[in-house]
Amino acid sequence: MSTTWLPCSVYHQNYAQDHAWWQTNFIKGKMLVLFLVLFVGIPLYADSYWLSVCNSVGYTVLGALGVQLLIGFCGQVTLGHAAFLAVGAYTSTLMILEFPWPQFLLDWGLAYPISILVAALVSGVWCVIFGLPSAKVKGFYLILTTMAAQFITVDFLITQYISQIGGRGQAFSLPPGTIKFGPWVIDNDLKVYYLMIVLVTLSCVVMINLLRSRVGRAWVAIRDNDISAEVMGINVVKYKLLAFFVAGFIGGVAGAFWISNLAAISPEHFPWFWSLWLVGVILIGGVGSIHGTVFGSIFMVVVMEVLQLLIMYLMDMGFAWAEPLFMDFLFVKEAAFGLAICAFMIFEPNGLAYRWWQIKNYFNLWPFSY
Amino acid sequence: MELFFMTLTTGILVGGIYALVALGWVLIYKCSGVLNLAMGELTLIGAYVSLSFYSMGVPFILALAISLVIGFVLGVLTERIFLDKLIGEPVLTVIMVTVGLSFFFKGCIELIWGTDTQVFEPSVFPLEPIRIGPLVIGQVYLWSFVAAIILLIVFVSFFKYTRWGLAMQATADDEMAALSIGVSARFVYAAAWAIAFMAAGVGGTLLGNINGLNISVGYLGLLVLPAVVLGGLNSVPGAIVGGVIIGILQNFCGAYLDRFFPGGVKEIAPFVFMAVFLLFKPYGLWGWERIERV
Repeated sequence: MSTTWLPCSVYHQNYAQDHAWWQTNFIKGKMLVLFLVLFVGIPLYADSYWLSVCNSVGYTVLGALGVQLLIGFCGQVTLGHAAFLAVGAYTSTLMILEFPWPQFLLDWGLAYPISILVAALVSGVWCVIFGLPSAKVKGFYLILTTMAAQFITVDFLITQYISQIGGRGQAFSLPPGTIKFGPWVIDNDLKVYYLMIVLVTLSCVVMINLLRSRVGRAWVAIRDNDISAEVMGINVVKYKLLAFFVAGFIGGVAGAFWISNLAAISPEHFPWFWSLWLVGVILIGGVGSIHGTVFGSIFMVVVMEVLQLLIMYLMDMGFAWAEPLFMDFLFVKEAAFGLAICAFMIFEPNGLAYRWWQIKNYFNLWPFSY
Repeated sequence: MELFFMTLTTGILVGGIYALVALGWVLIYKCSGVLNLAMGELTLIGAYVSLSFYSMGVPFILALAISLVIGFVLGVLTERIFLDKLIGEPVLTVIMVTVGLSFFFKGCIELIWGTDTQVFEPSVFPLEPIRIGPLVIGQVYLWSFVAAIILLIVFVSFFKYTRWGLAMQATADDEMAALSIGVSARFVYAAAWAIAFMAAGVGGTLLGNINGLNISVGYLGLLVLPAVVLGGLNSVPGAIVGGVIIGILQNFCGAYLDRFFPGGVKEIAPFVFMAVFLLFKPYGLWGWERIERV
């Protein structure tokens, strides 16, 4: 089952070729260029502003991957994923701040990496707890229970109780130098960028590999029709909960990563808006596609930045009405996001990934498209 | 014991308002099958419109009527622009469009009216409470409840006895059959959205009268979701009972659990209750059980 389009006179001769990630020389070259751009080009040429834009794209990708897994591949609609990001971020922060680390671990700079791992595990387990109702309910009712996850976790538990730990007040600030990854102290946008790009690459690799395995096929079967999946001998509950665990795991990684970019975290970083934002990202990018997650993240983050630049430009041009828009840019962002979702759902329900696929197909056959 | 009865009455009175908003939600779901997550913002729009007119010196009843008219127009427009094109699309698509709408509305509301709490000035209902035996009830609550009940009766009798209402019922029951006897489904959808906007607007205005109006009143609008889940998604009496029960539950949690779990237990309780309730009775009290076949 080759899903890649092969040019004339290229044939697979064994299964290893058929299952390979990159099957043609063109794809290999393309991926090489992509990696060069990501790991060398952007760090060399981007200034601090664009690096920080890239970092938010990466954070959105990490957060949205879990949502993509749940909605796009397992069919379990979740509207509370920011809760699991918050669990990851808070676990990691609390471990760094409160855990009595042995000195040698601190010297080797392992505290933060270990805390990322623990945060991911905690977040995964937390996600499974809120995934339990999926054994019984689905569709709209599941949406409601995941909404409950958001309100219970962020608005109640974290705001009211977790934030009280250590008596620091509402926001936990991380002293400079505590976020250390091995020998490197993560203290500027470039280092955050490298951390981000490694994490995003790893998560994408893990996700894609999971999806081509037995587990991934089981998820897709559940998404397409859970009753038939059960008839075919798939343990539906087990695989649904596994999907929730993996989604929470990646969400935890995302949350724990994001604290390296924030000097302080507070519950306001994980509002319900952010959960819906992540769902919007995958809908705009394309449901059921890893490409779509990335495209959607890039699109949403870049569009918002461009919108902000546009308003700033209008302000410089001397339009008085642009000024309140700039002051309340958050609200403009919300309204624009809402309109973008509506527009995509109405005019392009398959998302950007579908457009990408169409473009690729067009050029595969170009110039003789019949 | 006095606390108990006080909480109970307040709960019932606030629950009446929730019931009104929940009715709008159920109407949309029954008629067009749209699961609407924008209800919170609909309450906000109506509330802010009537507040603006009231602050300009328009009498309260008139301001409310204007917000009803604007709600009607907005409801029809929303349906025509956004949801008309989505008939027959998957559930998630439609839900996400309502989510998108909710963000759009919220952003616009925040841009137009800001985020500070605004109050109805001068206050609409007299401030001194009414005493019935040992019970002390704020007049705001009482009159809001009365207004909500009157509107509930109006809407329900509209649904039951008028020609339009009957057309809506027919569409809710079987769209194809309704189409074949000459009911315009598009008209019915538009009417359902208009009614939902109007009901939510009145509900929002009344809620805004109680504690002042800001963005978090929209969160109270979200409380219709536990209410309708409790009553069953497609049951009008269920929405009313569900709204009242959620009101009572919320106030009891505020009164009795707050000392054990300080903070926002009052806001969270309905959602926790809903999550647990769903595990045992996913179709609510009077919802239709859907049988799935492969």
